[in-house]
Amino acid sequence: MNRRLRALLRLFAVQGTWNYERMLGVGMGYAAEPLLEDLKAVDPVRHGEAVVRSAEFFNCHPNLAGLALGATTRAEYEAVAGPQIVRLRTALCSPLGSMGDQLFWAGLVPALVGITLVVVMLGARMGAIAGFLLAYNVIRIWTGYWSLRTGMSAGMKVGTAISSSWLPKAIEWVGPAAGFALGAAVPAVAAWYLGIFGWAGAIGAAGVAVAGFALTRWFGPGLTSVRFALLAMVLLLLFRRIGL
Amino acid sequence: MTEFSPHVVLPLLVWGTLVGLDLVSVPQAMISRPVVAGAVAGAIAGDIEAGFRIGVLFELFALDVMPFGAVRYPDYGPATVGAVALGAGTPWELGLGISTAFGLILAVLGGWSLQVVRRWNARSIQRRAAALAAGESSAIRRLQYGALFRDALRGFTLTLTALVLASTLSESIRLDRQTAVAFTLVAIGSGLAAAVNSIVRASGRGPRLKWLIAGLAVGLLLAVLL
Repeated sequence: MNRRLRALLRLFAVQGTWNYERMLGVGMGYAAEPLLEDLKAVDPVRHGEAVVRSAEFFNCHPNLAGLALGATTRAEYEAVAGPQIVRLRTALCSPLGSMGDQLFWAGLVPALVGITLVVVMLGARMGAIAGFLLAYNVIRIWTGYWSLRTGMSAGMKVGTAISSSWLPKAIEWVGPAAGFALGAAVPAVAAWYLGIFGWAGAIGAAGVAVAGFALTRWFGPGLTSVRFALLAMVLLLLFRRIGL
Repeated sequence: MTEFSPHVVLPLLVWGTLVGLDLVSVPQAMISRPVVAGAVAGAIAGDIEAGFRIGVLFELFALDVMPFGAVRYPDYGPATVGAVALGAGTPWELGLGISTAFGLILAVLGGWSLQVVRRWNARSIQRRAAALAAGESSAIRRLQYGALFRDALRGFTLTLTALVLASTLSESIRLDRQTAVAFTLVAIGSGLAAAVNSIVRASGRGPRLKWLIAGLAVGLLLAVLL
């Protein structure tokens, strides 16, 4: 199998060894292994050093990790000084993390989830699920492929390649799309659930929702939505027990 | 009530394990999203309606989670599978509340188990620190496969625990109709609170807010038409 393809496949498990010390480091080392194979024959000492560097601390969004992997691998083949490669790796952590989080976790995923929920409400059940999985994975696999290819061709100039790419524009576009999709989904989901309970049930659930929204915002991270839900259910049981 | 026979339990175990692995380790294909995990679990348990009702509600809770950096969060995947196993076969308006309570506890347990695996990974890396420092590729491979196995084991154990508990609870929990409906309404209200919290927090004050308001208008129209 093509080495670049093997590296791309291994990038799907880049978070496999996630831990609080090296974060994605070992996963990056695992993905780098096929790309560094040629270096072993050319310069075994350099190869050993490159393997060590590839598995050191690293953190970024997993779907954009290919940019850092490709850039550092090319730098290893170009015999760039080791400390400079380490600095590049470190410098890429924050921007790739931030851009990936905005693009995927705060943008694409909620946008697709919102659309999926609306489509489920409209009656297309398994079709909506299949569409969600297909859309997300096509975009994600293409992004992974693009990341690795761009990193490999840009090398130490990967920062310029990223800033002139489609990424910043996509981030600008996908955030509002997520807001729109989720904005459409939430009232539709509420109607889907509450339709059979009549006005009394809808007002009761809306009361819980307003209380939950206000309390979780007021108390911040101390009272998460899960804690609020469990607390409300315990209170309900207590009220029912004493006959309220 | 779900029939807890081998031809239902074994596929649910496999599905729960895959969903547990998908959250962080591999392949992050989004099968761990509750709406996906719930729909498939519902199909396996023979009650797709319950799968969607439970999956969509857990999706509302999951929207409140942003898995940025090292943030700690509940694992809704195997929890949704367990909740569907408990709620399948019961009219959803009666079973949704208790299934949600059960699933939320499992989700918290799943989040905690994720921390255990991460600490376990760190200890494993420390044990192989010398091999890593020597640039041994085989050490990296062993660490990676070991970590994937640990996460698969985590997903399997969580799902197994969920199914055993669901089987026990489905026999023992008896709620009167009024309490069951009240539980369901509290669960729906809490899920909506989580989703609204998430979208308000993410919308800010820029163009995203305008698009959110436009989306809300479309959603309200859909709510009236549905």
